[in-house]
Amino acid sequence: MLNAPEPSATGRNVMTVLVLVVALILQVSVANRLPLPGGVTPDLVLLTVVALALVNGSLTGMVAGFCAGLAADIIPPADHTLGRYALVYCLIGYVCGIASTEMDRQSLVPFLAVAAGALAGTVLYAVTGMMLGDPRASWTIVSRMVPLQVLYDVIASPFVVWAVLRATRRYERGERTRKDRFSVPAARYRAMSGRGPGL
Amino acid sequence: MKDTRRSRVVLGVLLAVALIMITIDYRGGADSPLRGLRGVGEAVFGPVERASAAVVRPIGNTVDAITDAPDQRRRADRLERANQKLREELRSSRLDSGRAQQLERLLGTAGIGGYKIRAAHVISAGQGLEDTVTLDVGSRSGVRPDMTVMGAEGLVGRVVRVGPATATVLLATDVTSSVGARLEDSKEIGIVQGRGRRGLGDGGATPLRFQLLDANAPLRAGQRLVTLGSQGERPYVPGVPIGVVERIDRPAGGLTRTAYIRPFVRFTSLDVVAVVVAPPKTDPRDAVLPPAPPSPSPGLTAAPSGKPSEKPSEKPSGEKRDDASGAPGDQSTRKPSSRD
Repeated sequence: MLNAPEPSATGRNVMTVLVLVVALILQVSVANRLPLPGGVTPDLVLLTVVALALVNGSLTGMVAGFCAGLAADIIPPADHTLGRYALVYCLIGYVCGIASTEMDRQSLVPFLAVAAGALAGTVLYAVTGMMLGDPRASWTIVSRMVPLQVLYDVIASPFVVWAVLRATRRYERGERTRKDRFSVPAARYRAMSGRGPGL
Repeated sequence: MKDTRRSRVVLGVLLAVALIMITIDYRGGADSPLRGLRGVGEAVFGPVERASAAVVRPIGNTVDAITDAPDQRRRADRLERANQKLREELRSSRLDSGRAQQLERLLGTAGIGGYKIRAAHVISAGQGLEDTVTLDVGSRSGVRPDMTVMGAEGLVGRVVRVGPATATVLLATDVTSSVGARLEDSKEIGIVQGRGRRGLGDGGATPLRFQLLDANAPLRAGQRLVTLGSQGERPYVPGVPIGVVERIDRPAGGLTRTAYIRPFVRFTSLDVVAVVVAPPKTDPRDAVLPPAPPSPSPGLTAAPSGKPSEKPSEKPSGEKRDDASGAPGDQSTRKPSSRD
């Protein structure tokens, strides 16, 4: 199992939590305050969850997604119905984890996967808002926000994926000896993300 | 996938938990049992946000200075010089002088209106669709929910939740925010509503919408708005400038006119703001609006409250609360906490 009682597993879990906390803090205190055109900001937490899920599989993805979402629901300036981000990020983490095993390892496919994850996450969050009758998730606002949000997410994704892989790299090595299937996407990702920020 | 069965079970459990939380929080509304969780979030993340804000503030200011430029190409030269000056300021770490100026203007504004304020910094902003920010003052500084938040130029929003050292502010541009407003030089009143995510709904310059209660009252572009003041001065104190009427929509056959408001405050770059901890003794009417500066004496009320060591809200807000029809239970819970 993924979280087998091994020293590297606990280390990786700790590192995953650390990465998520850093992403959350960066999200609320840096990214959300950037005066970007359109008033939309990239969703670093969603990108982090997608990256973790693509590397570590669906179980890690959804647990990390749920925890990150719950934290995003209660971190101070949050003012929406509690549990919405937990639901959305959990689902996105699961789906991206499933997708990671069947993904074609072409150089562009993981990029598209991150973009698709960002799109799905943004739309899903807006849909939960609409279902709850949240006046903030009205059609005029959402239809303007979603394309811009996905664009910003795609622009930010190489940096986030690279940072996440840098941070979790040490703990994947131990896994590679143990489990070949999972190491393939991780290695590919590492190779890809090495080029990513230079683009 | 080897873990299909187990991971499906986990997924189901997590989704069920999330849905239950959404249901409880949604049905519970303002007094849902899950508010305690938010309190935990405030206690845990508040200090971290405060610390990280101190580190990242110079970055934000730099980005701010850079992204301002394309807005005003005509004055590109002047802005370039201003940018240069800003960078120099950064380099020689003279940033604090700029913030001191902001604070000074803030005190001036508060002094004209007679508001007692508690100065604060914005340390983080909301994610997704909501227009909220966190301030670095909390219940320990005498901040309570439903207090007005203003900047040097005008209205920012109101406090919705308070942690020990942080406060969450709902900005006036949020869709769920509505503020009673009055046209300057007249008694015509109406409601100012936000249009969402810093004006994302439709065009960035006019993130507020104004509707007059009297459909036949005169309304023209260029008129300015101040807050009307809520009952008991909560959540909004009277006389805080809101913005200027930019344009007026008159739908064919419609009964109401909608005016679009350009706010005085720049909501995309909030830094130094103030929480009004005690309302003015008398309605300042239009006195706080910009071109009415007959060199007032702001020292009386505002200057002392600017000192960080002071607890300015104590006496006057206590008086005010008595006639403010607050629930008696409310007072008894509030008084001891404002003393510590």
